[in-house]
Amino acid sequence: MLQDRLEISRLFHRFAFGPKPGQFSAALKSGLAQTKRDLLNVPAIDTGAQSISLPVVTDLGPRPAPNTAAVLDFASAMRSQTQNLITWWLDLMVASDHGLTERLVWFWHGHWATSIAKVDYPLAMYKQNQVFRTYALGDFQKLSRAMIYDGALQFWLDGQTSTLKAPNENLARELMELFILGVNRYSEDDVKSLAKSLTGFQVTTSTGEVEFQPTRHDSNPVTLLGTTKHFTAEEASDFLVARSDCQKFIAERIWYRFISSSVEMPGNFASVNAFSNRSIAAAIKAAAYDPAMSDAKNQMVKAPVEWFVSACRALELIPSKLESSAKLIQALSALGQLPFNPPNVGGWPAAEAWLSSASAQYRINLAQWLVKQSSLRAIKEFDPDRWFINSADWLGVSQWSPRTQAALRESLAKPTEFAVLALTSPEYVVNA
Amino acid sequence: MDTLTRRKFLSMTAGVVAASAAAPVLRLSDIAEAAINRPLPSGTPILVLVTLYGGNDGLNTVIPYTDPIYFSSRPNISYKQDLMIPLDSQLAFNPSMKSMKALWDARKVAIVRGVGYPKPDRSHFSSMAKWQTASPERHINTGWIGRWVDSQPEDSMLAISLGSVLPPLFAGAKRSGSVLPLGGLTVPSGTLGMQCQQLAKPSRTDSSLMASAASSMRNLFSVSSTVQPILKAPAPASANLPTVAGGNAGGDNNLSAQLDIVAKLISAGSPTRVWSVSLGGFDTHANEANAQSVLLGVVSDSIARFLSQLSGTSRSSDVTVVIYSEFGRRVVGNGSQGTDHGTSGPMFIIGDKVNGGFYGDQPSLKNLINGDLAVTTDFRDVYSTLIEKVLQSPPDQVLGRWSGRTQFMRV
Repeated sequence: MLQDRLEISRLFHRFAFGPKPGQFSAALKSGLAQTKRDLLNVPAIDTGAQSISLPVVTDLGPRPAPNTAAVLDFASAMRSQTQNLITWWLDLMVASDHGLTERLVWFWHGHWATSIAKVDYPLAMYKQNQVFRTYALGDFQKLSRAMIYDGALQFWLDGQTSTLKAPNENLARELMELFILGVNRYSEDDVKSLAKSLTGFQVTTSTGEVEFQPTRHDSNPVTLLGTTKHFTAEEASDFLVARSDCQKFIAERIWYRFISSSVEMPGNFASVNAFSNRSIAAAIKAAAYDPAMSDAKNQMVKAPVEWFVSACRALELIPSKLESSAKLIQALSALGQLPFNPPNVGGWPAAEAWLSSASAQYRINLAQWLVKQSSLRAIKEFDPDRWFINSADWLGVSQWSPRTQAALRESLAKPTEFAVLALTSPEYVVNA
Repeated sequence: MDTLTRRKFLSMTAGVVAASAAAPVLRLSDIAEAAINRPLPSGTPILVLVTLYGGNDGLNTVIPYTDPIYFSSRPNISYKQDLMIPLDSQLAFNPSMKSMKALWDARKVAIVRGVGYPKPDRSHFSSMAKWQTASPERHINTGWIGRWVDSQPEDSMLAISLGSVLPPLFAGAKRSGSVLPLGGLTVPSGTLGMQCQQLAKPSRTDSSLMASAASSMRNLFSVSSTVQPILKAPAPASANLPTVAGGNAGGDNNLSAQLDIVAKLISAGSPTRVWSVSLGGFDTHANEANAQSVLLGVVSDSIARFLSQLSGTSRSSDVTVVIYSEFGRRVVGNGSQGTDHGTSGPMFIIGDKVNGGFYGDQPSLKNLINGDLAVTTDFRDVYSTLIEKVLQSPPDQVLGRWSGRTQFMRV
């Protein structure tokens, strides 16, 4: 039973964004096998997601000249659209009935990590997010091709400056190192060759549109990982995706973000085999069924967005309806993780990186702000004799430690304090 | 706080508090009482690590300005020769590094040339991991400062990184350095605060990650109670820098804001031996010359301002600043007016106890290795020297056996 609690807790917090009130105890009743099927099954209609309206993101055109009235309007539109874009996505994470899809969109954002800090235009970032939605649990070969035609990614990694005369290695290197193969699975010469294959793209950043200009493309043969020929960008992408290193690498990344960021992936992790046809859904399903899911040592720290979203679900809050979107964005920035703003092309860190004294402070502050905006319905419905198990079920926590139990008991009469403590406890911040 | 330190503290803050009329008036005694009650013994060396993220182009930082190959290799991103700041007949600073030049002239700047590690890795993440773990051959999870923290008695104030996320540099096997955000740390008060402290206690059922979560909350309480009163006080004045428009030359930017906090806490006697600050944006694949120049100006001005702030305190000669980045960049420009990832680069070591000048061989522009600069000094030579001379500890327990040293510290 305790083992089932652990696995069900892991399913909720890693393959979705945590339970809404009532979901965890219902899952315990229906059992581990059924919960697994439910969480991996894509519902035909996602009423939760449908309740969230689309963000207003438009083509804002080129930036007007400095010191004009037009540039002020432009900047303010850019700010409000960016804010709208961020809260729209957070709303979806909280409201969607299919946590796994949202979880995968989030995973791919951290994988093909592109930041609006350089791209600037919210429309281009929105379009990239749509690519992640289209292929979230789809075919990795198609996802990779689509990303090469993604304006935000191209611009982020200087693809638009890379030409026959002057190839730029930025996109080529990251495509091999961070997106498809993994570090050290190619040579420096391969980086140079791939850079040539990727020349010729032009980006309109305000729309995220990508255009291929054959005259800027290097159509000479190159030697890429032992094969000499002219590769188009699509062919190069397919060629990399077909390599066994890609199979291993994507499985490694799934291991790192779903199973453990501290323990190395064992060679027999089921996602490796399952990814042989490059089906993302198959690799994810295999991860959920792998014995590693029941191994006590594979604990995961909730990254700030994951923590925030699961807290909103538990507290029945919708991010865009919080008191102030600006304040929310500030709080997530302070915690070091704001959607659409990864710190660099490697995405966000994991594990201990989120466990600093500074993070502890910002988590407590944000929890206090959230809790006071919640009805705290779930807490008020606890059975006074069963508050211990009721509160663990409410948050989908596998088990409270005696330490946390002692702190919570002192706050039983104060629901707001109780909620803050439960949400900032080591057992909630770290998924056992 | 001993009386001598206390008196110095009062005299140090006196001018500042009186001068800042607009700021809320803090009673001197409040600040003094609130200050560190177990100050770092006077004369204890302090290390300040400055990490430049993105791969700083060393060749446009310390420029071989009389080498024609430099100009022919990167026609679009080299600076005009007359704008560069010559250091000797071969090397010059980037035009924006005027403040650094003043420190160089005072013989406080050691430049170790061609620093790197064997088999250079051109990945930002792998390369920065090698620099921060000081383990280029084998991937490990602890940083070199983290391992040093492990070797010392437990003290949440011993090593402090500015920001909100723990850098790998500070991760130890047993415990980690603390992280202090720009706004300082404030803890919840009242019963919630008491319950949070209960939540921060160790539990026998904790896994290692849960134990880290609990200890980060404990550190929040211990660090906050120590630093918060000090952070409310104004930063030490820059004794010998010109004042521009009400502020010191150097401008308002994140690095100088981080260093402001470090200066405040050092001058208040914080028992901190290692500080970590950082600046990003050095990944200049496109339109490099201007962007990098701005960043190097920030680095150079912020460091000068920081040392100037400390110059009025008793700690000024205790501080050694070290600047590094994960790699240098390719010698030949890439045609987007930028440079791609390269290998070695210069490290800067700055302070009163530093013997200014050049160390290590300047990598040749003629004999490149696959288009890249050679590595002429292993970063472990530099680290060993810092561990020995600044942290005053045996390097072996941090780096394993390592015999190389670079003698840039005056004994």
